[in-house]
Order: sequence, then C-alpha cells, then structure tokens
Amino acid sequence: MTAIEPKQQAIEQVSVEQASASDEVLLCVQGVSKKFCRDLRRSLIYGVADISAELTGLRGGKNTKLRQQEFWALQDVSFELRRGEALGLVGKNGSGKSTLLRIIAGLIKPDVGTVTINGRVAPLIALGAGFNPVLTGRENIYANMSILGLAKAEISKRFDSVVEFAELDEAIDSPLQTYSSGMAARLGFSCAIHTEPDILLVDEVLAVGDIRFRQKCARRLAKLRENGTSFVLVSHNSQAIFTSCRSAAYLSKGELISVGNVSEIINHYERDLFLDSVPEQLGAASFEEKSPDESHGLDITSLSFKGEHDSPVQTPFTGEPTAFVIGCKVHRQVNQVNVYLMISEIGGEGDLILSIDSAVEGNFYSLSPGKHELVLDMPYLGLRPGLYSMKIIIKEALLSTLDYVEKFMFSVDSHKAMNRSLFYQSVEWNVSEDCQDEGA
Amino acid sequence: MASRKVYRPHSEMRRPRTLLYHMWRDLLGSRELALQLMRRDISAQYRQSFLGYLWAIIPPVIAAVGFTFAANSNVLNIGETDLPYPAYVMFSTSLWQTFTESITIPMQKMAQSKMLLAKINFPHESLILASIGQVFFNFAIKLILIVALFLWFRMPVSSSIIVAPVALVHLVLIGTMFGMLLAPLAALYQDFVKGVPLLLGVWLFLTPVVYPVPSGEGLFGILVKLNPVTPLLVTVRELATVGTVSNPLGFWLASLFTLVGLALAWLVYRLGLPYAIERLSS
Repeated sequence: MTAIEPKQQAIEQVSVEQASASDEVLLCVQGVSKKFCRDLRRSLIYGVADISAELTGLRGGKNTKLRQQEFWALQDVSFELRRGEALGLVGKNGSGKSTLLRIIAGLIKPDVGTVTINGRVAPLIALGAGFNPVLTGRENIYANMSILGLAKAEISKRFDSVVEFAELDEAIDSPLQTYSSGMAARLGFSCAIHTEPDILLVDEVLAVGDIRFRQKCARRLAKLRENGTSFVLVSHNSQAIFTSCRSAAYLSKGELISVGNVSEIINHYERDLFLDSVPEQLGAASFEEKSPDESHGLDITSLSFKGEHDSPVQTPFTGEPTAFVIGCKVHRQVNQVNVYLMISEIGGEGDLILSIDSAVEGNFYSLSPGKHELVLDMPYLGLRPGLYSMKIIIKEALLSTLDYVEKFMFSVDSHKAMNRSLFYQSVEWNVSEDCQDEGA
Repeated sequence: MASRKVYRPHSEMRRPRTLLYHMWRDLLGSRELALQLMRRDISAQYRQSFLGYLWAIIPPVIAAVGFTFAANSNVLNIGETDLPYPAYVMFSTSLWQTFTESITIPMQKMAQSKMLLAKINFPHESLILASIGQVFFNFAIKLILIVALFLWFRMPVSSSIIVAPVALVHLVLIGTMFGMLLAPLAALYQDFVKGVPLLLGVWLFLTPVVYPVPSGEGLFGILVKLNPVTPLLVTVRELATVGTVSNPLGFWLASLFTLVGLALAWLVYRLGLPYAIERLSS
C-alpha cells in the first residue's frame, strides 16, 4: 500500500483545478465510425481499393458497407471536449480507444462522421518518438520537438526549461544511448508537454520515471489544465481516471456505451469488465449438498447478502447496513467452530483488503446437527464500490477445516460519491454551540 | 493559434482547391522539420560508422576499379567512351548512385519512421524533403571525388557545367518520384524492401553507366533509349564534361515525364499514406 500512495497523491494534484472548463468546444467528434479488417493480406488489398477510391474522388462521406472480414472498430461515436476539460476514455483492450485517439490526432481517416478540432493537438502517446540513440539529448530535443510541430526558434526558446524539467543538465550533450530508460522517458515527456498544446492526448504514458518524477508530471499536467489545455486520457488504471477527470466515456466493441459522470462510467465499465470472467451469479451462491462420507461434519450450502430490514440483496451498497449469510448443513455436533473470511478486490493489486476471523475476535460457536445460518452483521459496509472475491473457511477448533469456498464473487455498489476513498467511513458532523470556555 | 481542422471521410480529391492549398501549406510548413530530420539522420548515419563520409565515395571507386580491370583484360567489351574509362565509370557511378539513393532513402526513411508515422501527425512531405536533402548532401561529398577526378585525369571543363546542376536536379527528382511511390508500399510490404535493390541492379545495366550510349538498334539499344534515366544521366555527364548535349529532345521529354510524374506521385503519396498508416501497427 505504501508504495502506491505517493502516485495517488500525485494524481490527486492533477484534479485540484477542474473548474476552469469553459464553453469553448475544442474537439467535436460527430458520428465517427471506422472499420478494420482482421486479415492482414485482405486488409492490404482493401487498402489499395481505398486509396484508389480516394484518388479518383469516388470515396464519399458514408462508407458504411462492411466488406468481407471487416468489423467496426468504432461505430457512431460522438462527444465534445471543451477547453480545460479532461475526458477519461475507458474500455477493454481492442474496444477502439486507440483508434479513436488516432482519428482525433488526424493519423487515420474516419469512414463515417467528422472530427472538428480547434487548436493544436499534441499526442502524449509515443514519448520520444523519433529519438535516435546515437545523437545527443540536445539534438534529439530539436528533432523530437520539430516532429511535434514546433519551429526551431520556439524550440530554442523552450530548450532550457525542457532540459531543466527532464533533470538532465550535464547529460544533455551525451548520446541518448548512454541514458537510462528513465532519463530517456523523462526527456520524452518533457519535450511533449513543452509543446503547449490545446488538446493533449494521453495514452497510458503517465507511468514514466520514478515516483517523484511522476508527481512532477502530474503537477505539470495540472498546471497545463489550469491554463486551459484539454485532455483525453486513456488508462487502464481506473484510479488515474477517477482522479484526473470529471467526465468519462466508455467504449465497448467500438461503440460508445455511455458518456458522463466519471464515477458512474467507471463503475459501469468495471462491472462489465469483470462480469465476463464471472462464471455464475454475483453476490449469491448455493452449493449442492455433499454426501455424509464426503462431509467433514459441516457443509456450506449457500452464501448471500442481506440489506436493511433483512431483505436479501445481491449487490450490497457501500455504507449501508449489510449482513453476510452463510447457510450451512451440520451433520454432527461440532464445537468451537470459527469462520475466516478473506476479501480481495478483483482487478486491484490482489492484496487482501479485509480479513475477518471470528477466532481472533474470540467467537466460537457450537452447532448441533441440522441447518443453520451463520450471519455476519456489518452496521455499515466499509468496502468501496467494486468487484470482490471472498474466500470463506470454516474450521473446527482452529485445526481442522470443516468446509471452505475458494472464490465467492460479489460486487459492491454505491449511492454516494466516494471515488477517491479506499474505504467507506461513516461520518457525522456536529457543530458545537458553545465552545468559548474551551481554550481557557 | 486558432487553427481549425476537420477530418472527414470524403476523398480529398473532391475539394481540389483545399487539397492544393493544403499540399502547398504542408510543403512550406515541413521545410524546417525536414531540415531537422535531415540533420538528425546525416549525423546518425555518419556517427554510427567508422568510415563515415567515405561511404559516399567508396562504391564509385570500387566500381571504377572493377570495371576498369574487366575492360583492360577484355573480359568486358566496352566501346569508346568520351572520357578516360576509369573516370567515366567513377563519374557515372556517382550519378547513378545519387539516382538510386533518391529512390532508396525515402524508402528507408519511411521504414525507420514507422512508429512515428503510426503515432504522430506531422507533414509527411518532410520525410521526402529530408531525403532529397540527404541525397544532395551525399552528392556533395561525392563532388570531392569528382573534382579530384577532373584534376587527376586533366579532363576539360566546359562552361556548360554551370547548367549541369539543373540536369542533376531532374535526375534526383525522377528518383524521388519512384521513391515517393514506393515508400508507403515499402512500409507495408517487405517485398519492396527486398525487391527494389534487385530491380535497381537490372536497371543499372539498362543505363549507360559503365558503357557508353549504345548506337545499335537492337532490343537492348531500344530499352536503353526508352529508359527515362538514360537521357537525364547522360546529359548531366555531358554538360559537366564535353559540353555538348547529344540528345536534348530525350532530355526534355524525360524531364517532362519527371515533373508530371512527380506531381502525381506526390498526390498518391499524400492521399495514400493515411491508408498505409492505418495498416501499420501502432
């Protein structure tokens, strides 16, 4: 946990000033579709056909017909980006995020729809594009920033601050191949942000350099946004999107599923992301009864949640009273039963988030044969929205395992905005009326 | 700063005036970038090699030594050349090499810049301009060899040498025309990277580089005459040395072919490249 903290702080700083978004639309994507072909050879043949159509002027504004083996990499995508706004773009691998960025960057043509851009777009996509290892840092700065669209005079003017930001002062006249990868990445980042664009396209590149440099990058990006630069941010790290963006767009299989408030979009995305890998229903499970010889005396038969007023819920809500119910069938008298729960977040770092051990709390139970429910009451659920996996172990007298469930998956939803917190804290504010005597 | 750009699916040929304006704008706008790229590539090219600048003159010297040896020992039966044979071969090979470089350097640049092309939008004309610049830079080094050649063999210099650069530019431009058409293909298909050097090898034998212009009417003679590089290369050589142009009509036809072809190649390059980039892995 401690290793992650500084990075998160850094990202936090990016989001300090979000208020500067104005009404000026810098980027307008209208009904953009793009088709790709999976088969390489065929794709090249289509390429020749497309080029011919382009050269003869036959290519029109609606190229909607899919040829054999083609699919829509993007389909009817529309959104707007205003000055100073940051849009997070989420979606699985292959959902069309990069294609969208490449169309916005003007690298490839849409098949349908238009993209209108007011201002200079800089891609923070390929850091250090065009770097040559044989040349010195100085020479590479000039080459790289020229490629990014700056005139030589402008580069010279910014040269010192590029070097200063990249923290390379003496190394600047050594060949790039003598640099560490971190140094090269710093140089690339520094070049890219010193182009001072109106729209910055950021694709998974914020993880360059050490933690301190990442913080510095984040501060710099925050400053750019204060000055009115807009961002389109692509990241697999939901936390990065949460903290840098107010709005987000969710792409799935080339279609824009939803655009809007970042927490809703991320929740939606994460649910979809993990649903694929979830074999059965989330938040509830039942197990077939074992035969008496297979059983060790106690079998888990069902797992479920209950919300307020004992109503069954499949998806518990953060901060609400929740009960976790373990249904079990007992075959013989068992004594000193204890329950051990281990909860970890799916898609997170895999760390244990919560472990509850009734033995540690000193709670042991004696159960007689028959059906029972072991109920764990939580006055309010502290888990933040997300998808979780729980391991359940029931032991007798701490030694022998009676039964266990390796993986019980459930998701947690939220009515409240608590995106930046790692857990839910129940709070209550009070204003003390009379506190004059306190200090005396 | 408030530049407005619209990306549409329509063919750009549908707005010819905008297209021409954009082509002109990007050509002008890419000069500085081209200079930077050229500087980068030239320094890298020579810094990475031990022999450095010598590489520009090694091939013509080797060719001259080889062919002179072959001619003297009557392995090759080469007709009378208007210059001492070693000088003829060396000078012609330098010109030929300049022509082939103007095809291969754009292809190399394109292949090297794949990643760049796939990720950053910059005026693509700059790659071509940088290539042309590099070709002329390499020629400038060869010029040292050529000057030495003139001094060593005490070759006469005619006053027409002043216009020789014009013909040289045409020679480079015809190469650039092919280079521009082949470069995007070379980025996509390995076949071109491998095939073009082979083709150039064949082409060399259809061009009067190591032999004088054939007078015969046979198939070979006709092929050599139809080869558009022949009149351009021969004219540069003649202007620089003997001073009389043997085939002015051929020169002007080849030049016309070059200029029209170059304009078309530019159009194909410009309009076709986004579709090639689409197929480059990003």
